[in-house]
Amino acid sequence: MKFILFTFLTALLVIVFNPFLHYWSVMLLIAIFAALVGNKEAGAFFAGGLGMGIAWLGQSLYISTVSGSNLPQKMGDLMGFGSDIVLLAVTGGLGFFLGAFSALTGSLFRRLLKRKPNNIYKGY
Amino acid sequence: MKYIGFLVVLTLTVALALSVSRQFGTIPPLAPLLDPYHGFWQNSISEDELAEDKLELNKLSSEVKVVYDENLIPHIFANTQADLYRAQGYITAKHRLWQMEFQTMAAAGRISEIVGPLALDLDRMTRRKGLAYGAEKGVTFIQENDPESFLLLEAYADGVNQYIDQLKDAQLPVEYKILNYRPEHWTAFKSILLLKYMTDMLVGDRDLEYSNLRKILGDVMLDKLYPQYPSGVEPIIEAGHKWNFNPLAVTRPDSINYPDDQLVIDPLPQPEEGTGSNNWAVSGSKTKSGNPILANDPHLSLNLPSLWYSMQLTTPEYSVKGATLPGALGVISGFNENIAWGVTNATRDTRDWYKITFQDESRQAYRYGEKWQQTSFRIEEIKVKGEEAYLDTVVYTHYGPVVYDKTFNSNRQDVNFALKWNVHEGSNEQKTFLLLNSATNYEDYNIALDNFTAPAQNFVFASKGGDIAMRIQGKFPLKWKGQGKFFMDGADPRMEWQGYIPNEQNASTLNPSRGFVSSANQHPADSTYPYYVFDNSFEFYRNRRINSRLSEMKDITAEDIQALQFDDYYLHAAEALPIMLELLGSEFENDDQAKKYITLLKEWDFYADPNQKGPSLFYIWWQKTYSQVWKELSENVAPIVLPSYYQTVLFMKNEPSGPVFDLKNTAETETAAAHVKQGFREMLTDMKKWELEEGDFSWANYKKTTIKHLVPQFKSFSVENVYTGGGSGIINATSERHGASWRMVVELGADVKAFGIYPGGQSGNPGSKYYSNFIAKWANGEYLDFNLRTADQTEGVLFQTILN
Repeated sequence: MKFILFTFLTALLVIVFNPFLHYWSVMLLIAIFAALVGNKEAGAFFAGGLGMGIAWLGQSLYISTVSGSNLPQKMGDLMGFGSDIVLLAVTGGLGFFLGAFSALTGSLFRRLLKRKPNNIYKGY
Repeated sequence: MKYIGFLVVLTLTVALALSVSRQFGTIPPLAPLLDPYHGFWQNSISEDELAEDKLELNKLSSEVKVVYDENLIPHIFANTQADLYRAQGYITAKHRLWQMEFQTMAAAGRISEIVGPLALDLDRMTRRKGLAYGAEKGVTFIQENDPESFLLLEAYADGVNQYIDQLKDAQLPVEYKILNYRPEHWTAFKSILLLKYMTDMLVGDRDLEYSNLRKILGDVMLDKLYPQYPSGVEPIIEAGHKWNFNPLAVTRPDSINYPDDQLVIDPLPQPEEGTGSNNWAVSGSKTKSGNPILANDPHLSLNLPSLWYSMQLTTPEYSVKGATLPGALGVISGFNENIAWGVTNATRDTRDWYKITFQDESRQAYRYGEKWQQTSFRIEEIKVKGEEAYLDTVVYTHYGPVVYDKTFNSNRQDVNFALKWNVHEGSNEQKTFLLLNSATNYEDYNIALDNFTAPAQNFVFASKGGDIAMRIQGKFPLKWKGQGKFFMDGADPRMEWQGYIPNEQNASTLNPSRGFVSSANQHPADSTYPYYVFDNSFEFYRNRRINSRLSEMKDITAEDIQALQFDDYYLHAAEALPIMLELLGSEFENDDQAKKYITLLKEWDFYADPNQKGPSLFYIWWQKTYSQVWKELSENVAPIVLPSYYQTVLFMKNEPSGPVFDLKNTAETETAAAHVKQGFREMLTDMKKWELEEGDFSWANYKKTTIKHLVPQFKSFSVENVYTGGGSGIINATSERHGASWRMVVELGADVKAFGIYPGGQSGNPGSKYYSNFIAKWANGEYLDFNLRTADQTEGVLFQTILN
């Protein structure tokens, strides 16, 4: 359940902030989010990855469906993928890896700090 | 252990984030490109879906209204000229930013900055020709002589820049995203440079080739193969026109020593074959409505985003509409409530080469008469993507830049030629268009044209008042007969140009009795025109077809004129094919394949319509025959030009057994028939291959008209195999890569009726539905409604925006 929720919230985070922020700022947000939530490593990796991957795939799919533009096909040809479907998959896949590694980094960071929890909250 | 694990993953994550933000070779940074919120996906959204009611544009004196019609053509309503051009800059940038910047980068010799060392030679050539140098002179000239126009140029630049400063990543044109760079600020210099770039596109010279030909053929044979006025030419200004002026005297030196080496160097890039244009105007006496009708269709390289961008520009004083050049102010070919005008290229040799004799290796001085004259050095710093900047030293003489020297494009170490070209002199072409946009009559038109230097154009004109006119305008050097046809000796002051033909003595005509004026890049005037006029590339076919049609047409309507712009009659074939069939005789009677083709050719009506098979057969047969006829000449290692098609057909008709057809290095004596037969044999081989591999050889399928994106490698942004007729030398001049880049027909009645179309679309964005949506109509000879609109007109509005 936590996995699904984390996936959902990561996707939401991308949808809300990505329009204003570059992908690397979004990566940072996902890492912070993962550190705060504290999933296990594998869980964080896949949930973060799926969250950003689905958000990117969904947004790409949404734009190409609503606009009806043939630009994805043209870009697919230009980049040597041959089709817009492959380009959609590559976009989703890239989103997955960016989200996954960000969340994993955040999750591992939390584990580092867990050993001395007193230091974190002391003084706040 | 945990630390190590964290550090490893952190490193991996940072490495991943960095690697997808970097360019590797030709692979662009992936994450910014694919990010669906900022990358190319956003460019899938068309302009109407991004429409905004209000946009911020500072420094306006009052708000400006922009109404887009259903074809995304903006109609700008402003209260002052400064507001108008500020808004023109802003709106043009909104739809065509990448293109306007890319073209000026090319004109400035800065393509290496974008694509890397691959473009270095191209950039060096552009710079060594002195285009940017000429534009710098232009800036100074306009600042000093016409400060009002300079303010307008700056207002336009400011409009572009305000758009660039507002531009969000999502809306950055996709080409920037792929090529990984960002737009820089626009300047008045860039607008001027763009007009110089047009000159470079449209002006050529064949001094090198003619110098070689003179050496190879001698003067007598040269004049025979390349006559100044071949028989039967129809000049732009009607033959027999009376010249009401006293020409200036030009003195020819008694003896001329041409630099006499036969030169094996690469010639300067020339305007591409197929670059040309048509324009004409018919007077009310020939039209059904009694109103004059004007037509213009410039033929240029077919590209996307289209070279042209349509607009209406309105102030309380005037309303002008037509084709603009993204980056330049005003309308270039168009009309207002009172007049219409259009342009075709007035090719004439205005570019000459002088051989420079340097005093020594340092190249600081060169011989001029009895003295040594100082040179100056211009260091061109060419930035190269991914590499150190390249420094190129160009030597300037009083003639102009030394284009070829020991460091550039030369197989011979001692070659030093300076280029003299009026593009290097201060001029103000922009003023011509600013004035034409608000002109109301023939006098205004003439005043506007007085400012125009280069590229020389045939300006057609018609007015509501009933006038039709044609004027060939440019700054033409005053030359003695033959001057500048060949390389000249720069050490001999007698070789200098002796001034310029005064504007009022440029060939022109007003309301000629034949009831029409026309031009199609042919000879400007007949041999009675008192000045020496030479060019290698005068056209022989389109003009004669236009004139013969206009002469016989009566009760002309705008629809008739549209049909004439789309006329596919292949005059060259109509003149050459009967002669070729006659010369072919009966030699191929027993060959079934040959008989099939001959039958097709005999039944052909000479129209190069897209479904016809005749034009493909004729085209190949002609090409083969032509190269066979001039085989010996073209085998020279030194660059030369071949005699025109027109002259070649004249020889085939008038002296088929003449010595021009004999190849000297064979034992036999060849005649025209031998070449025609050999050409036919080669055509059979080619056709066998074509039918096997491609099957259908109907004309559209054979010529494969393609409209290419400005970056040729971006193939999927191009439109290939457009199904349309026409061809080079045909009024509908659509060949493989060239054609009518803009077609306009304007009837100047009480209400001006206008029609226009170009092979592209208003949007520069390959993802937009407005990117190439005009092409199908254009290929069919259809037009869009180009009538002037008022600010409050409601029908056919896509959306509107207030700029404030």
